[in-house]
Amino acid sequence: MNIVVTALAAALAIAIPALATAWAQSRIGPAIAASMAEKPELSTTAVLMIAIPETMVILGFVVAVLILLGKTA
Amino acid sequence: MIIEMSKVRILGPRDRLPDVLRTLQDLGTLHLAPPTLVEALATRELSPAEARERRHLASALEDVERALAELGLPGGQSAAAPIPPKADLARWARLAWRVRRAAEGLRAREIALDDERALILKYQGFFSAFRMMLENEAQWPNATVYHVLLKSGDTESVHKLRTSLAAVVGPEFQLYTQQLSTGETAVLVVISAQAAGRVERLLAEARVQEIPVPAAYGGKSLTDAIPKMLARLGEIPRELEGARRDREALARANAPELRKARAGLHDRIQELGALPLSGVTPRAFVLEGWVPADARGTLETRLHTAFGDDVVVSELSKEEWESENAPVVLSNPRLLRPFETVIRLMPLPRYGTIDPTPFVAVFFPAFFGLMVGDVGYGLVLAALGLVLHARSKPGTLLRNVAEIMGPCALFSIIAGFLYGEFFGDLGKRLFKLAPLAFNREEALVPFLLLAIALGTVHILLGLGLAVASNLRRHPRRALGSGVSAVMLVLIVLALLAAVHVLPKGFFTPAAIGLLVAFPCLIALEGIVGPIELLSTIGNILSYARIMALGVASVMLAVVANRMVGAVGSVAVGVVFALLFHFVNFAIALFTPTIHALRLQYVEFFGKFYSPGGVRYQPFGHWTRDAT
Repeated sequence: MNIVVTALAAALAIAIPALATAWAQSRIGPAIAASMAEKPELSTTAVLMIAIPETMVILGFVVAVLILLGKTA
Repeated sequence: MIIEMSKVRILGPRDRLPDVLRTLQDLGTLHLAPPTLVEALATRELSPAEARERRHLASALEDVERALAELGLPGGQSAAAPIPPKADLARWARLAWRVRRAAEGLRAREIALDDERALILKYQGFFSAFRMMLENEAQWPNATVYHVLLKSGDTESVHKLRTSLAAVVGPEFQLYTQQLSTGETAVLVVISAQAAGRVERLLAEARVQEIPVPAAYGGKSLTDAIPKMLARLGEIPRELEGARRDREALARANAPELRKARAGLHDRIQELGALPLSGVTPRAFVLEGWVPADARGTLETRLHTAFGDDVVVSELSKEEWESENAPVVLSNPRLLRPFETVIRLMPLPRYGTIDPTPFVAVFFPAFFGLMVGDVGYGLVLAALGLVLHARSKPGTLLRNVAEIMGPCALFSIIAGFLYGEFFGDLGKRLFKLAPLAFNREEALVPFLLLAIALGTVHILLGLGLAVASNLRRHPRRALGSGVSAVMLVLIVLALLAAVHVLPKGFFTPAAIGLLVAFPCLIALEGIVGPIELLSTIGNILSYARIMALGVASVMLAVVANRMVGAVGSVAVGVVFALLFHFVNFAIALFTPTIHALRLQYVEFFGKFYSPGGVRYQPFGHWTRDAT
C-alpha cells in the first residue's frame, strides 16, 4: 500500500507541474508568436519566455525523484 | 570586454563640411552623434534640393536591390570607393530602373510558363484517362460532354452524381470514371443536348469541379484543344530555357555595375543622412561623435593632413558626456569571440558596464556538457562542428555556431568520462568504461547537489560582478549586491553545517552573521531586498535542471541500447537503437542549448547585466554587414 501511495505521490509531483507548464506555454506560445510576426528580433525573448515555465516541471521531476529515493533509501 | 571610447568634437569652416564628411567616411571610425547645441549653433537641416535628392536615391536604391534579387544576385560586394559624381548617380538610377523592369518581366514570363505547363499537365491526365472516348466525341453530334474532376478518396460522390443524373435526365446519359495518378477521379458525362441546361444546374448546385476547355486553345471540345495543348507542352521548356538564358545574360551584363551602384547610392544616402548630425553657424560647422580611444590619433592625423589648421579636433572630457549614450564595441580574444553571438542575441550591455562574454564562454559549454555528458554524443557533436566549420564562411553566424560547438563537444566528452557514459551504458557493456566521478543513472542525489553547487557558484559570481559594475556609479546598489552575496554564502555554510558536511561549529556563527546582515540588507535595498534574496535562492534551485535534463538524456540513451535485446531480431533492434540514439542526440542538441542559454540570460545576467547599449555604427562606406 505504501509503495502505491509513494508512486502516486511521485506521479502527482511531476504530473501537476507538467500540466501547469503546458497551460502556461499554451498561453505564452501564441502570444509570443504573434509578437514575433511583428518584431522578428524578439526571437531570443521568445525562447526565454517558452523556457521559463519549464522550471516548474523540472522542479517537479526533482521532487518526484526525491520522493522515490526517500522511499527506497 | 567593452572597448574604451573617446568623444571628439570637430570644428571647421562651414564650406569644408562636405569634404570633412567624405574624409570621415573614408576613415570609417567615427560614430556620429548630434552636437550639443549652444547659442548661435543650429542643426544643419537638409535643403529642399538635398531632401529631394535623398528621396530619389532611396527609390533608385530600391530598384537596384529589387533588380539584384530578381536576377538572383543578392550577395557580392564592390570595394569601397569615393562618392561618385552626380552624373554617375543619375546614370545608376536609370540603369536600375531599366534592369529592374526587364528582370521582373522575365521572371513574370517564367512564372506564366510554369503555370501554363501545370495547367496542361492537368488536362493531359484527363485526356489520357478517356483518350478513346474523347476521340469519339465527334460521333455524338447531339450530345454534350462534361469533364469533371473529383477529389482523391471521394468515391461516394460518383455514386451520388450517377443517382442525381438519373433523377434529372432519366436513362439518357453515360458516365465514365477513371482514377488519375494524382489520386483524383476523372469523370466524363455524356448527355443529350436537350438536357444540358438541367445538368449544368445540377453540377452548379452540387459544387462539382468541372474542367472547362481553356479558351486560349480554341475549340469547344477537349478533343480539339488537347493536340494544341500537347504541342504547346513541347514548346514551353524551350521558352523557359530562353527566358532563363535572357535573365542570366542580363545578370552577367549588369551585375558589376549594379553592385557598384548599390555601394555608391548607399554611400551618398549615408552622407546626406550625416548632414543633419552636424551643427552650424553662418561660418563654421561642428561635428561630434565617438571613436575607439586607440583610433583617435589616426582620426586627428588624417584630418590634419587633409585640412591642416582649418579643421580642429578636440577630445571631450568624460565629465562632458553621459556614458549611457556612448556606443558599445565588444572586443574579446579570438577564442572567446564566437560567444559574442550569445551576447548579441540580447540587447547589448551599456557602455561602462561589464561584458559577460568571457563568463558565458566558460559556463555555457560547461552546463551544456554536464547535461549531455556522453563521450559518444560529444564525438558526434565535434564531428558535426567540424563539418559546419568547413562549410561556413568566416564571420558568419554559422561559423560562430560551429566554433561554439567545439567547446560544447569538449565539455560533453569530459563530462562523459566523469559519468562513464559512451552512448549511454554502451561503453560500460563494450569496454567496461567506469565513471570517474559518479554514475548519474543511479547517483541522482550527488548529481543534484553538483548542479545546485554549480548554481551557487554561478549566482555568487553574478552578484560579485554586480558589485564591480555598480561600485563607481551606484555604490549603494553595489553594497546591496555584496550583502546579498554574503548572506547567500552564510546560508550555504549554515545548511552544510546542519547536515554535518561542515563541522557543527560553523552553524552558530553563520546564523548570527545572517541575523546581522538581514537588517543591513533592508536598510540598503528596502523591503525589496529580502524578496530579491528569496528570488536568488529560487534562481539557484533552478540549476536543478542540469540534473533533470542530464538524467532524462542518459535514460533515453539506456532505453535505446536495450532495444537491441528487446526486439526479436538483432538487426531490427540495432536499427531501433540507432533511431532512438538519433532522436536523443537531436534532443540533446536542442534542449540543453535552450536551458544553458536560459541559465545565462535569466539567472546569471539577471544579477548584473545592464542592457540597452547603443550599437557602434561608424560613419563609413557601405558594407553588407552595415545593413
